Amino acid sequence: MKILIIEDEPALSKSIGAYLADENYLCEYAGNFGQAIDKITVYDYDCILLDLMLPGGDGLKILEEIKEQNKQDGVIIISAKNSLDDKIKGLQIGADDYLTKPFHLPELAARIYSVIRRKQFGNVNIIELNELKINLLAKTVSVNDNNVVLTKKEFDLLLYFISNKNKVISKSALAEHLSGDVADMFDNYDFIYVHIKNLKKKLTEAGCDNYLKTLYGTGYKWEI
Amino acid sequence: MSKLLNRTMKRFMGYAGLVLIISIPVYYYVINMLWHHELDEHKIELTAAAGREDRYLIILFVTLLTVLFFLLLMIGFILLNRRISKRLWQPFYNSLAQIKGFNLDQQQTVSFEETDIEEFSELNSSLNKLIAGNIAVYNQQKEFADNASHELQTPLAIIQSKLDLLLQTKLLTDEQYDLIEDANKALARVTRINKNLLLLTKIENSQFMDKETIDLSELLENSLILFSIFSENKNLVFDKDIATGVTIEGNKILVEILLNNLITNAIRYTPNDNTIQITLNHKALFIANPGTLSLQQEQLFKRFGNTSAETPGTGLGLSLVKQICSRYNWRTDYTFSDMRHIFSVTF
Repeated sequence: MKILIIEDEPALSKSIGAYLADENYLCEYAGNFGQAIDKITVYDYDCILLDLMLPGGDGLKILEEIKEQNKQDGVIIISAKNSLDDKIKGLQIGADDYLTKPFHLPELAARIYSVIRRKQFGNVNIIELNELKINLLAKTVSVNDNNVVLTKKEFDLLLYFISNKNKVISKSALAEHLSGDVADMFDNYDFIYVHIKNLKKKLTEAGCDNYLKTLYGTGYKWEI
Repeated sequence: MSKLLNRTMKRFMGYAGLVLIISIPVYYYVINMLWHHELDEHKIELTAAAGREDRYLIILFVTLLTVLFFLLLMIGFILLNRRISKRLWQPFYNSLAQIKGFNLDQQQTVSFEETDIEEFSELNSSLNKLIAGNIAVYNQQKEFADNASHELQTPLAIIQSKLDLLLQTKLLTDEQYDLIEDANKALARVTRINKNLLLLTKIENSQFMDKETIDLSELLENSLILFSIFSENKNLVFDKDIATGVTIEGNKILVEILLNNLITNAIRYTPNDNTIQITLNHKALFIANPGTLSLQQEQLFKRFGNTSAETPGTGLGLSLVKQICSRYNWRTDYTFSDMRHIFSVTF
């Protein structure tokens, strides 16, 4: 899987690259407008991470260029601007997702995973991990072909873990993921316990191995 | 308080009255002298009674005439004063009305009418300078808040990503993990403060202008569902009395932020196993949660007015609420009664 990180802040693109590197992703970097245009013209990527404020030009122009060249690359905008206008404009031009800085790397990984799955597996979007089978379109989960009924939040969590395999996920990253934009109350992270406990229980009861490990007391890791 | 010209008029009237009263004996003396001179010239002798009568007559007529002139003067003064204060002071009143209507928040400019009176023209130009200076400082401050928050996003993103990476280091100790988590929490708080500051600046910059009719009842119910993961976790119950079909005019994003902030506060500051009352009717929204002490009303809606170690909010939630309400001329209120904090928004 090839990923292009268009971001002018090297410290950030390096972090993203380092996090994604172990996930079978091959990352390339572009630090300004010209480099980005060169790269997208010559190569194809599975997913492009696009910062909107770049030296040398507007990131939205790059997005327009990608669409004009009829490229199938998935695009996730990562912007410091939490502006609704930019978001709507970006999605209208054809970005697949929009993530506001600052974000947790697991969150980014989950978005990338979902964009790539959507782009490449279209109608038959089923993830198989040993005895576990997840149908992304129907949003169903089965273990050894037995259906497991998960709530929306639990299903969401499962996907989040699977797109961050073998990574340590902190409680704060999970809390932010689960509560989305609405909540201003991350000082209390306890609400995630219930969801994780239930997810674990449902999966193990259906005969799934316990892949979800608790680390350091409050961190989690999907080990496979 | 009395008008400036009325004060001067009273003095003028007093002085005129005084002069006229003093003039009575003077007139009498002069006329009497002339009268006696004429009598002596024509060798006319008067009886003592006739002479006394003449003196009284002269005094009477002089007094009457003086009073008459005084009245004439008074009427003239009053009429003139009215006209002068209307005409002469008109530019002043115009400027005053302009300043009264001026609101720094609303970004309108003030243009004073031209006047040919030097003092007023000077006043207007000074006012113009003062207001222009104020607007410039205000804009600078807003721009600063906007730029600062934007510039902060990228370094925050870098710190966040480094922490996430640090977490992936093999064989962290529990202690090290806790350190990272503490840093994460603080970072999340900075991020929230920054986001809210940005939001405040945007509202102040008159963004989010588009309006629509919003079904507030439905929006409120949806928000409550959204927040149920937090309330259930604290074992809180929503005691709802929500009238159906309450609609308001406003920007949906802003109204959502308003509701979310009020509900968030109620959930955050309510001890476990309690009830939060939420009442919505066609006039107002009330959110009440149990508490022990009344909050400081004057600090409540200010930025960072109520932050402390025990209340780990962003310190901006209620000022956002206030800002949104003032945009739509809604009234926000806080009262404390029956050991309950009651926040209300009157539409």
